[in-house]
Amino acid sequence: MSALTIRSLPVVALVGALSLAHAAEPEAAQPGQELFLERCGGCHLEGGFGTRVLARRVPEGQAELQKRAVLPAALITLVVRRGLGSMPQIREAELSDADLAAIAAYLEQRP
Amino acid sequence: MIAIDTARLEQALTRIEAIVGAQYVWREEEARHGYKDAMAPRDPMSYAPRGAVAPASVEEVQAIVRVAGELGVALWPISRGKNFGYGGAAPHISDVVMLDLVRMNRILEVNVDMGYAVVEPGVGFDDLHNHLVENNIPLWISAPAHTWGSVLGNALERGVGYTPYGEHASKVCGLEIVTGTGELLRTGMGALEGAKTWQLFPYGFGPSWDAAFMQSNFGVATKMGLWLMPEPEHTLNLAMAFDRPEDLPLGVEALRPLKLDGTVQANPSFGNIIRNLSVRAPRSEYYQGEGPIPAEVLEQARIKSGVGHWNFSIRLFGDKAVNRINAEKVKRAFAHLPYEFDVSEWHRGEPLKGSGSPTPTLAALGVVDWLGGPGGHLTFSPVSPFTGAEAWEQYTTIRAMYEEAGFDYYGGFTAGQRYLNHISMILFNRNDEDMMARANRLFSDLIEVAAARGWGEYRTHTLYYDQIARSYDYNNGALRRWNETVKDAVDPHGIIAPGKMGIWPRRYREVRA
Repeated sequence: MSALTIRSLPVVALVGALSLAHAAEPEAAQPGQELFLERCGGCHLEGGFGTRVLARRVPEGQAELQKRAVLPAALITLVVRRGLGSMPQIREAELSDADLAAIAAYLEQRP
Repeated sequence: MIAIDTARLEQALTRIEAIVGAQYVWREEEARHGYKDAMAPRDPMSYAPRGAVAPASVEEVQAIVRVAGELGVALWPISRGKNFGYGGAAPHISDVVMLDLVRMNRILEVNVDMGYAVVEPGVGFDDLHNHLVENNIPLWISAPAHTWGSVLGNALERGVGYTPYGEHASKVCGLEIVTGTGELLRTGMGALEGAKTWQLFPYGFGPSWDAAFMQSNFGVATKMGLWLMPEPEHTLNLAMAFDRPEDLPLGVEALRPLKLDGTVQANPSFGNIIRNLSVRAPRSEYYQGEGPIPAEVLEQARIKSGVGHWNFSIRLFGDKAVNRINAEKVKRAFAHLPYEFDVSEWHRGEPLKGSGSPTPTLAALGVVDWLGGPGGHLTFSPVSPFTGAEAWEQYTTIRAMYEEAGFDYYGGFTAGQRYLNHISMILFNRNDEDMMARANRLFSDLIEVAAARGWGEYRTHTLYYDQIARSYDYNNGALRRWNETVKDAVDPHGIIAPGKMGIWPRRYREVRA
C-alpha cells in the first residue's frame, strides 16, 4: 500500500454550520445547551461579536444570552429567523425548526 | 426580467418536493425572509426570491436542475450565504428559486501527504479548521476576515486570506460541476474516470475550466479540491503602524520587492484607521457629529487608541532559521521609515492563537455596528497596481469621494504578488433611507470614476453586477459578449443564476433589449 493510500483520509464528516468546540464547560446536560454552544456560541458567549453588540444596548449583565433574565422562546425564534440589528437571519436549511426550538427552550429557562 | 408565473412556480416546487422532501422546500414569504440580504443597501424584499430548495446530494441537484430547465424556472445557487457585503444569501433578482447547498456539508477527503481537501459547498471555514484540529491533521486552512462562510463559495468568488495560501482561487484543484442541463462533469484530471491526480495536477488535458467556473454562472459546483498548507514549524510576525496617512506609498514600495521575490509569501494588508477602530468600539465613542469624522478628531482617536493611520503585519511562515533571516531582510526594506516593527514568534506545538493560522472568528462582523445600526455595508473592491503612487492615487480619490458623500472611509490594501486588492466598505444604517440612497449613489459613482482611471473591481455586490460588467468595455465589451456566448451554449435553458457577474442568458437578453 502506498504512502498516499495510507495517509489519505477519506472522511465523510458531517459538519455543523458554526461549530465551536470546547467553548464552555458543560453543566448538567440540558436540552438545547449543546446546540446553543455549537450553533450560537461563536457570537453569543462572553467576548463574542453578538455579546459585544448587545452590551451596547441592554442593561448591564444582560448581554450574554445565557445570563439574560427574561428571554422568551418566541422572541428568540423570531430574531433567528428574521434577523435583528447586526444579526443576520439563520434559515431553516441551516438550523432546523426542531433545533431552534430546543435552543429557544434552553435560553428561555435560563439562568 | 422574466417573471415566474405563480402556477408554474408551484408546479416546479411540487416536483422538487418529490426530489428532496417537502421539508426542504420553501415558498414565497418563508423564502423571502430566509434568503434576504442581511446587509442590504436597499429594501431587501425588492430582490428577495420566490422559493428555495436545499438538496442534500449531487443527484438531487441534478434532478432539480432538470426540472428547472424543463419549466424555465431560474435557480440561484448559494453555498452558505455568508458573503456579507456582496449580497449574502440573496439573489439579485426576485424571480428565482434559491438552490441552497448548505446541507451538502461533507468533508469528503483530507490528504495529508499531498496537502489537499475535497469539500462540498456547505463546508464552512470553521468546519474545516475544526476537522483538521480535532483529527490532529498538520494542515492549515486559509480564511477571510470571518470564518462563517463556505470554503468552496469563497474560493470560487476569489476570496482572499492571510497565509501563503491566501489567494484562494489559485489553490483550487479540480471541480465537480452540475451543468445547466443536469449533467455531471469533472474538471482537470477528474475528467479521466478513476484519475489518481484530480487534486494534484490542476490543468488536465485541453482547455482548463476551473477558472471559468469562478465568479460565473456556467454551472453549479458540487465538489472542490483545495490545496492546504502544511503546518509550518514556525511563524514570525512583524507588525507596524504608520502615524500618517501619507506613509502608505512608502510602505507599498518597501513591500513590493519582498512580495515579488517571494520573501513574503502571505498577503499583508495595510488597513486604515477606521478599519482598526471599528472593531474596537462604535463610532459614537469617537465622534457624535454628522458627516465623516474630521481629521483632527481622527488623529486624537488614533493617539488615544494607540493605533496607526495604517496598520499592517508581515507574517513569515516556514523554518525558524529561514524566517529569522527573512525578517532581517524585511526590517532592512523598511529601515528608512521612522517606525519600528513589533516582532512576535510562534513555534509548532504552542496554542494556535497568534500563529497566523485562522481560527474561528466572527469578530470582523463588528464593523456593521460602527454607526449604531442596524448596520449594513457595501464593499467596493478595485484592484490597484502594486506601486505606491497608484495606491496613493486610488486611496486619495476614493477617500475623497466617501467623505464628499458623508461617509467615513474604511479601507485597506491587501497585497498580492503584483497587485493590491483595495477593499473599502461603505458602512450605513439600514433604517436610514437617506444614508442608503447616498451609499448607493456613491457606489455607482465609484465604479464610474474607477473605470475612467483604469481600475476595475475584482468582486462586487450582487446589485452592481451589471454596472461593473459594463465597465469592462474593451472592444465594445468583447469579453462580456464572449461570456454570453459561452452561457448560451452551456446553459441553454438560461436557468443558472441569470445575470450573475452581468452574464445574462439569451432569453433574458431578449427581454431586456
